[in-house]
Amino acid sequence: MIGFRLERDGTVSARFTRDEASTLRDLAGQLIVMLTDRASAGDPVDAVLAAAGIGGAETPPLDPALARLLPDAYRDDPEAASEHRRLTEHGLLQRKSDAARAVVASLSDGDGTVPVRLDPPAVQAWLRTLTDLRLAIAARLGIVEDGDPGRLEDDRDAAMHAVYQWLGAVQGMLLEVLDG
Amino acid sequence: MTIESPVQVPESVESLDRPWVTIVWNDPVNLMTYVTYVFRSYFGHSREEAERLMLQVHHDGRAVVATGGREEMERHVEAMHDYGLWATVDKADA
Repeated sequence: MIGFRLERDGTVSARFTRDEASTLRDLAGQLIVMLTDRASAGDPVDAVLAAAGIGGAETPPLDPALARLLPDAYRDDPEAASEHRRLTEHGLLQRKSDAARAVVASLSDGDGTVPVRLDPPAVQAWLRTLTDLRLAIAARLGIVEDGDPGRLEDDRDAAMHAVYQWLGAVQGMLLEVLDG
Repeated sequence: MTIESPVQVPESVESLDRPWVTIVWNDPVNLMTYVTYVFRSYFGHSREEAERLMLQVHHDGRAVVATGGREEMERHVEAMHDYGLWATVDKADA
């Protein structure tokens, strides 16, 4: 990729290779599926409220990746955590998947390199989605505490490590431009 | 000619009570620059204050980033979860 640049009109521009753009689109797409599955996992009455971004499940997700994206709001009070989750989880899921959709929308499917131009809301969507993707991948690789190297048993793990590092580098470059 | 004086509406009655806190916990994933960015852009902290809090999270495993009424702290925690930071609400003396 060719690094991010702050333009005069306040937008941020960059160029990705076709492979990079398609990787990012695929990952964001997987994230959207994961989030939407969780949102529709409740009972049918919840589904109606969910469509309006209200309500949510009462227990944390079993999948460690989802659990990290949707942490309990109370550490030592399961009842309060469950109540808070019931009221807020759907909104959180909705905003996270909206951000991932905005990332997909900003990556056109062209020939050659893919130019990206991000207005301030799109920059926010990118920062959040890059984070959510890294959190999900880290959970899958078992990176739970500082210093955890993460599972590295086969080529698939190695590929996930590479993507994880790359997403971090992209986010780092984006933050550097915003820090100006 | 008069200027309408701004009306101060209390955030929550609970804030008069024993306060609550928003705690951000360390995680091995989020970049230090990102955590600093979130503290600056969401809480409006100076760079120095944001970096101080970020380093406290990093070294101590957690930092109190806000104090106030329970509902307000719950909103902060929800916002932190939007950003992908691991945050919880707790009573101030916990």
